[in-house]
Order: sequence, then structure tokens, then C-alpha cells
Amino acid sequence: MPIAPIEGTAAVFGDHVSADSVLPARHSFLPPEQMAEQVLMDVGPEANRKVRTHAVIVAGEAFGYGTGRESPSRALRAAGVRAVIARSFSRLFFRNALNNGIVVIQCPALAAMPVQDGDPITVSLDEGRVHWKGQSFDFPPMSGVVSEIVEAGNLINYGRALLAKAAAGNGA
Amino acid sequence: MGRTLAQKVLERTSGRTGLAPGTIVEATPDFSYSHDYAAWAIDAFEKMGATRVHRPERIAVCFDHGIPPNSARDANSLKRVRDFVKKHGFAQFYEAGTGVAHQVMVEQGWIVPGSLSICNDSHACSGGSVGALALAVGETEIGFLWAIDRLWFRVPVTRKMVLHGRLRPGVYAKDLMLVIAKQLGVLGALYEILEFHGEGVKTLSVSERFTLCNMATEVGAKGGVFPHDEVTAKFMAGRAKFAFEPVHSDPDAEFVAEMHFDLDTLEPMVALPGREDYGVPVSEVAGQHIDQVFIGSCTNARADDLAIAANILRGRKVHPGIRLIVTPASRQAELDALRSGDMEALVEAGAILMPSGCGVCAGTHQGVSADGERCLSTSNRNMPGRMGNVKSEILLCSPATAAASAIAGCIADPREAA
Ligand code: SF4
Repeated sequence: MPIAPIEGTAAVFGDHVSADSVLPARHSFLPPEQMAEQVLMDVGPEANRKVRTHAVIVAGEAFGYGTGRESPSRALRAAGVRAVIARSFSRLFFRNALNNGIVVIQCPALAAMPVQDGDPITVSLDEGRVHWKGQSFDFPPMSGVVSEIVEAGNLINYGRALLAKAAAGNGA
Repeated sequence: MGRTLAQKVLERTSGRTGLAPGTIVEATPDFSYSHDYAAWAIDAFEKMGATRVHRPERIAVCFDHGIPPNSARDANSLKRVRDFVKKHGFAQFYEAGTGVAHQVMVEQGWIVPGSLSICNDSHACSGGSVGALALAVGETEIGFLWAIDRLWFRVPVTRKMVLHGRLRPGVYAKDLMLVIAKQLGVLGALYEILEFHGEGVKTLSVSERFTLCNMATEVGAKGGVFPHDEVTAKFMAGRAKFAFEPVHSDPDAEFVAEMHFDLDTLEPMVALPGREDYGVPVSEVAGQHIDQVFIGSCTNARADDLAIAANILRGRKVHPGIRLIVTPASRQAELDALRSGDMEALVEAGAILMPSGCGVCAGTHQGVSADGERCLSTSNRNMPGRMGNVKSEILLCSPATAAASAIAGCIADPREAA
């Protein structure tokens, strides 16, 4: 099943934005709307405004490194972020973002370009390509269970479908 | 081609063979545990429409992050977890005050050599201290694991960390780890397992190995592991909750890289504010201003760590310009320190004793520094805002350097304080 491309505008960040600064631990249990109000406030109000207006984060090295808490990813999703493209990621941010419906794309070639806040960006998961200003950049396609989670939208949807399938199997 | 410890554990738990690094597999862990954030796992479990938890006899929960709770909201969240654990008959529930989950699970023998151990916390890698493949996942994934009984993992490459010689007095596992972080950088071992070898490993206790495996995540690694040896065997005796079979990398296993460390040449280190890889020898920063000292966290607050600090602080006083906060990693560590008299020495010197758990470490619960202040900490992370105030700074060091600095009122070399 093809996955619809993600279209949005860019919120640009530099290197080493830690998951703790995306959302500090003390905000872990806030309801989603309040998380969205707090997301990236440790970096500054401008950073917060940016991710609430632009759905595609473009960052440098190690975006979301550090804590394995999932709330930073939840907060980004609550703020409307749909994709994060960066030079590199920590493995836990990769998992957590993906499981919460944010597509995570390692694409050093795009991360090296002079992308500006608000630039339109399209992520085509089926092609494994990011489009920006008429140029395109390849990234390694997702496979197996990882792409199934992305297709399902998030891990909860994926789990629900698996359970439903198992229940139907048992009933037959 | 030989296989690494990580490959072998993932092959056994996924039922597959010949797994090349990079392959995505679905594996069933031998054991999983969670903490306060199990509340999110319950959310996920319920949203998936799941009703039955698979293998509850292989699941434990230990409250540590925000205990005792600060607010009705947090208290209600803990209660929800307590009720769920009881309803589903989890193997073990550790109430608030038992300790930091990672410490408690190793201490109580739930994590055994050669096993696949999972927790929804980035410092799950601590379990590598007893020869387990111990991996971190997200909270939703713990709910998924309860419901579906498997999780996906990427088969990692392994980096061989060869230790030579022995640490000199005043120099500790934490100093070695800060050297490793400095050399690798915060994502320098991304997706790798750090596997410790060399004759130097025999000189390191399980507690010291814990410090090193704990901070594997601080260099982006998937985990760290000390393969089972005599030290592990002695530690596991009478403690292991499950039968286990130690696993070792084959002699011809392929390592992605190899690093060597001469323990004899290392010096006490301090990681400067902002990043874990900003380490410098303590001599470069001795005399620098600090306001608070934290001896705590799963990294460095076991009985041996408390003893090291107590031996420096005994009969002396914390500098009047410093707040010294001590948070034992577990109740057992606290009891050991009470019985040995180390706790008395710390409190007499002026330490503020906090309940065993995460406490100050994650900035959720007391001990926050003011704007412009600097906290010297034995924990594992010093990125901006980690301890609750983005306008304050955190430096990392060993318990010895922390204790010596608490007396001096500024960063001090522990070798001069003894
Ligand atoms: S002590 Fe700190 S690092 Fe360890 S589990 Fe608790 S919050 Fe995390």
C-alpha cells in the first residue's frame, strides 16, 4: 500500500538539540495541548512557535539525543510535527518519534543545504526521497516491521491491528 | 564468521539464525521492567484494545522517577500503575523508595547473564554490567510488548573496548567513562554495542561495570556489556532469579572497531557543562566555582560510591557555600552505607539525604539549581536543562571528585583530599 507523501514547511534547527530540551522531564505527564505549549521552550519561545507552525523539522546532528522518555516525541506530534529530517539521530528518538506518528529521516545531504524556516518540503516515503527547492535527496527506504508501523500511522494502531487479526484468527 | 554476544542473544530470542548487523528482527525478551512511566505503557496497552499481559512472570515495575509524588496528578498516575500491576500479576512490584529501577533489577538478580533485558528508559543499558544484552525502548513499546510479546530490534555491530592495567588511587570507572565519551562524542558509537575486554576488566567490580554500561547511551550506543566472568559469577551467586547461560562473542567475531585504554594513565575527569563529551582532566578546572554537589543517580550512588565519598568527607564539613545532596541508588545501598557508618559520615559532614530513587537527576523532583548556578554531579547527563533549570549548569564527575569539591567549595582534585 503506498504511503501518501508528507508535505509541509520547514522548521530549521542546528546540531545537538537534546530530547530533554525538546521537552523537560517535569512536563512528561501534561495533556497534549499543554505539551505543545511547552515543546522546545527550553530552546526559546521562537523555537516553540516554529514547530507549531511548520510540520517538518530539518536539523543537524543528533536531534533528540539523550533521554529515552517518549514525551518529547509526543510533544512534537501534539505541536503538529509530521517529519524530522536530520543528519543523525539517537536510536531512542528514532524509535519514539516513529512510534508516535512522526516520520524520522536520516538525510545528511538535505541537512547540509541552506534550508530556511518556512521552505516547502515534501517527503516521499515510497520513493525514499525528500524534495526541496526543485532538488531531491535520497534516503534509505524503511523496511519490514518499521515500514508497517509507519503505514499504520503509529505503534498503537499497528498493535491494535495485530491484536484484531489474532482475535479473528482464533475465532475462525 | 564468528558471532558477537549481541548477535547470539538476538538470534536466540528471535528464533532466527545467521543475523547480519543491520537486520531488523522481532525478538521476545527474557525480562522487561518499567518505572513510573509504565503509566504510558498502560495507556498504549489499553488503546490497542489489549486485555491480557503476556508472561507477567517476566515483568517487574519499580517506582523511582518522581517519588514520593509531588502532586495529586502524579500520585494518581502511580496508583494507576500499582493497580494494573496487581491486576495482571506481574512478577514483582517495588514500591517507591526501593531504589532506581536499573539498580534494583541488577541488585535483585532479575537481570541475568546472556539474557535479553528491556526497559523503557535510556539507561536500561546498565544491565550489561552482568553480561546481559540490556536495551532501552519507549514507553509505548512496553505496552506493545505486554500485549504482543515481541519487539523489533536492529542487529547491532559491536565495538571492542580493551582495558589494560588498573585504575590508580583517586581515579574511578566514571573517569574512564568520561574519557571514553570525550574520545567518541555523544553519538560516536551510534547503534553499537560497547563490549569490554582486556585484563583490566577483571579489576572492575559489577558496580564499576555498571557505571560504564550505564553511560553507554551517552555515546549513542545501543548498549554496553561486560561478558560474564569470575566477577559476574560471584555477583550472581544466590542472586539470580532465573537460570541463565552466559554468552560470549566468538574469538573470530567481527568487531566494527577496537579501542584501547591504559587505566594506569587516566586522571580524574570533569565533564564541562552542556555535553557529556566535554571532559577535561580535573587539574584544568580545579578552583572553578560550584554551588551544588549531587552524589546520586543510577550511575554513581551505590554503597561503594557512598563509601568513597564518605572516606573523603569523614570528620570534615561541606563548604558553607555548597549544598551537598546525597541520593542512594537503592535502599540496599542506603542500608549498607548506614551499617558501615558511611552514611553517618556524610550526614555529619552536612549532606542532605534524599529518598532512594532518581531524585535530583532528571530535574523533576527537588534539588533544582538557581539561574547562573553550577551543579557538580555524579550522574550521567549534563545537557542544558537536564536538572530542571536551563539557566543553570551541570558538570559531571566521580563521587571522589564530588566529595573533595564539596569540602573545597570549588572543583577539587580528589587525590589531594585523601
Ligand atoms: S537516576 Fe537519573 S539517569 Fe538514572 S534512571 Fe533515574 S533519572 Fe534516569
